Amino acid sequence: MKRKNPFDLSFSLLTAAASATVLLLMAGIFIILVKESSLSIEKFGIYKFITTVDWDPVKEIFGAATSIYGTFVTTLIAMLIAIPTAIGIAIFVTEAAPNFLKGPIGSAIELLAAIPSIIYGMWGLFTLAPLMSRYIEPSLQKAFGDVPVLNILFQGTPMGIDILTASLILSIMIIPFTASISRDSFNLTPAVVKESAYAMGATKWEVIKNIVLPYSKLGVFGGIALSLGRALGETMAVAFVLGNKHHITASLLDPASTITVTLANEFTEADTDLYLSSLFYLALVLFILSFVVLAVAKFFLLRAERRYSR
Amino acid sequence: MTTTIELEVKGLNFYYSGKTQALKNINLPIYSRQVTALIGPSGCGKTTLLRCFNRMHDLYPGNMYEGEILHEGRNILSNENDLIRLRSRIGMVFQKPTPFPMTIFDNIAYGLKLKGIKKRAELAERVEKALKHAALWNEAKDKLNASAYDLSGGQQQRLVIARALAVEPDVLLFDEPTSALDPISTGKIEELIMHLKNEVTIIIVTHNMQQAARISDMTGFMMLGDLVEFDHTQKIFTAPSEKLTEDYITGRFG
Repeated sequence: MKRKNPFDLSFSLLTAAASATVLLLMAGIFIILVKESSLSIEKFGIYKFITTVDWDPVKEIFGAATSIYGTFVTTLIAMLIAIPTAIGIAIFVTEAAPNFLKGPIGSAIELLAAIPSIIYGMWGLFTLAPLMSRYIEPSLQKAFGDVPVLNILFQGTPMGIDILTASLILSIMIIPFTASISRDSFNLTPAVVKESAYAMGATKWEVIKNIVLPYSKLGVFGGIALSLGRALGETMAVAFVLGNKHHITASLLDPASTITVTLANEFTEADTDLYLSSLFYLALVLFILSFVVLAVAKFFLLRAERRYSR
Repeated sequence: MTTTIELEVKGLNFYYSGKTQALKNINLPIYSRQVTALIGPSGCGKTTLLRCFNRMHDLYPGNMYEGEILHEGRNILSNENDLIRLRSRIGMVFQKPTPFPMTIFDNIAYGLKLKGIKKRAELAERVEKALKHAALWNEAKDKLNASAYDLSGGQQQRLVIARALAVEPDVLLFDEPTSALDPISTGKIEELIMHLKNEVTIIIVTHNMQQAARISDMTGFMMLGDLVEFDHTQKIFTAPSEKLTEDYITGRFG
């Protein structure tokens, strides 16, 4: 073996140490979360904690079901709004827009992703929520009030501080993210493959549908999973407009709570050891949830890269 | 030689966006059911000329044609021309194999489906015919439902040729179809091209002069956007009229 230059050796050790920090931090956070929540884990166990609907600090009964439900519902609705919009934006930017628009729109999307979430939250509280309660939610109630099943979704008083508004804010926050990853995946489609579809007599739409979308579906899927991770963990914007109420409700016009919102709102009030421990337990649940989602996303992105980098 | 003219290029000028003139007053006939080779040093405009025949330049804004290319009495370059129809009459094969992200069967059937053919039986029949034509049937018949990416590079290129043949075009354009392939695959493609000229008119751009000499009937030598000489391949390679052509084919430059 060749003897290593001492400078090279110390440099590679230094970079290795820097990388190890990431893993240590990760493990450290996990260990702290488990340790701090051990009291609550002992008291409620795993199954009981995530299925209990009550969150009652006075009686010291803590269940994560309402927060998990709120997290999933807001994320789901946000994704339903964001995915089609983002893919539409990405198709426009890569395939349909004239060249002089491609750059500016692309940059605008990325800038949108850079706005701090608390600003979205303030905008949501002071601008979007009043608009929702005055115009959008009453007209939704009018439109679907007599339709069976759908009317359940729009019951109650349209206050503007509710699941629907929170989901909308969340979707606006993840659209730029999903759109820019989808755009990058679309751009991975080799120009010559698109050209050969055009050379067969395909129209622009046929090329997008048959060539670009299948070519980039793994990348787009990865992008969606990454935004999912972001939506699951988003706190500030949602905290402003969700109302922080612990219950499970079918109506989108009711306030609710997510894991992150509960954590942000209640740490200062946690006056007993069990209360505090249960909040840590909730954080642990979110940690594992986000970890799994991001791992899945990474897996798909890597596969997409490997498959088409030949 | 009794020949009819399939395509006739008349006074063709071509400008890439930004006003660079890439083709200067090109005039040449493309004879029906013959192989016409376009040779010349890099940047001479041979690929640019090839891409005029199926209007590929229209995919990018700002490009401009002048002059005419006549096909069946109509000007290909006319603005009223239906490009979708044109491209199903004049197919193209690129440098690198370009299978689509779908099965082998669906790749071949793609052009047929675009034309509105939906009947499974007819599709199957024409896919088989096209694969046999492209000498790929024996290798592919047992894995028609496998991804096209599972084929080797040479097989992929024959798949792309089969895909172009399936719609029964009048003309096939080849843009350096073997430059990414090994010698054995190259030999198979050349054999295929010589065989195919019984049914379709072929125009091939190639960097490889031996290839042009082996497979073409007519050869055009281009340089800096000019068509320097166009004649029977045998004459170009044995007794060219132009000094430039002679210098190029004897390897004095390029």
